[in-house]
Amino acid sequence: MLTVQGFQKALEYWKLFLQGVVCTVSLSALTVIFGFILALILAICRMGRSRILKAIATVYVELFRATPMVVQIFVIFYVVFDGVKVLPGFKLFGFIRFDRFFPAVVALSLNSGAYLSEIIRSGIQSIDIGQTEASRSLGLSSVKTMRFVILPQAIKNILPAIANEFVTIIKESAICYTIGVQDIMSAVNAVKGATYRMAEALIIATVLYFCLTYPTSKVIAHFERKMSAGDKR
Amino acid sequence: MTNDKLIQVKDLKKYYKGERIKALDGVTVDINRGDVMVVIGPSGSGKSTFLRSLNLLEVPTAGSIIFEGVDITQKKGPDGKKLDIDLHRQKMGMVFQHFNLFPHMTILQNMTLAPVQVKNVPQAEAEKKALELLERVGLKDRADAYPIQLSGGQKQRVAIVRALAMEPDVMLFDEPTSALDPEMVGEVLDVMRELAREGMTMVVVTHEMGFAREVGNRVLFMADGKLLEEGSPDAIFNHPQNPRLQDFLSKVL
Repeated sequence: MLTVQGFQKALEYWKLFLQGVVCTVSLSALTVIFGFILALILAICRMGRSRILKAIATVYVELFRATPMVVQIFVIFYVVFDGVKVLPGFKLFGFIRFDRFFPAVVALSLNSGAYLSEIIRSGIQSIDIGQTEASRSLGLSSVKTMRFVILPQAIKNILPAIANEFVTIIKESAICYTIGVQDIMSAVNAVKGATYRMAEALIIATVLYFCLTYPTSKVIAHFERKMSAGDKR
Repeated sequence: MTNDKLIQVKDLKKYYKGERIKALDGVTVDINRGDVMVVIGPSGSGKSTFLRSLNLLEVPTAGSIIFEGVDITQKKGPDGKKLDIDLHRQKMGMVFQHFNLFPHMTILQNMTLAPVQVKNVPQAEAEKKALELLERVGLKDRADAYPIQLSGGQKQRVAIVRALAMEPDVMLFDEPTSALDPEMVGEVLDVMRELAREGMTMVVVTHEMGFAREVGNRVLFMADGKLLEEGSPDAIFNHPQNPRLQDFLSKVL
């Protein structure tokens, strides 16, 4: 049962929740950046001429899309980084344990990179070949064609899908508490441990996650409108 | 005289699916500086493939294309280094059937992108040049519009001046009026006519026989990937020799 006292008690630990929010936001933001860069590389590899790169990228994408997130994060943390032995133990912002945080960023980036690359690939392939031909016929290199002609159009087309993926990253990051990252979910766990009550803390976490994801999709929707300047008659 | 040869095409072949489809089956022709060469022929004759091969949008299976003294079909340039096709493409303007303007950029941005990015022209200078070109085709007031706000004829005029902004040595036109509403064909042909009068070397694939007759100084007739007849407009239209050409003209004229 939810009680007013329960909320009061849980909110006594507001600092833990605040730290959780800071942690979740930094985790998601870094994942978005690294995931996007990785996705771009993967997408280009998959569409490129090199068969080896294509094969590697394809195997990578299929592997990460076909296995559960929780398995990936455990493998990264317990196998790749072998517990906490190889990483420095300093704390970001004075409370985020780097040796837990870093593997989480790696795991989430690797995972979202796989999904985002498929979105980017479909976006690039949706652009008419005539755009590439026009750009190349003007003497622009393939890299400059990609940068100035194809990607701006492709990204505009796939923004809704990207927004969806960004929101997914924020939500999926909740799984990182399982390897000891002090995100919002871990604050819930801490409050549960201290007060023997979980319900109110969970409601608070729900509200916090919503407050993070909802504005994210709104901000991207704003950019979407700005970028569609060429669509208006 | 050899200096007058801007593009020499030698035994150009383009095969698909092994050798089962021969889009180009041994085309040899010289394009001289100042030529307005019009390529006609039934659809599927290989005339678009021929045009698109000239700047390697289609990579030929065999044969050579010598543009300004350099065989651009080779992997290595005359200096022994890897041939940079972008360097040659910037001297060959191309206009497409479907305009292919960049929809996310304004008309002005469409026109300044390549000069600024490829030739390192300062932005202000590129814009000045672009506005001059737009004025010539009567579209200066649409510089800040987006392509979608323009009619088909206006788009194609922009596409032509976008290519001209790179100051090319030759302009390639791939059925430039085929996607236009009939009432817009004239305005595009006017721009091309003007360009021809100024002495621009042009290769034009078109179904506009009136334009071929009036503006072209050489007409090529292609069918089945082969160059079947070549001559002055008068020779081609008034005294056709090849039966395929006679048959073609009887259908289109």
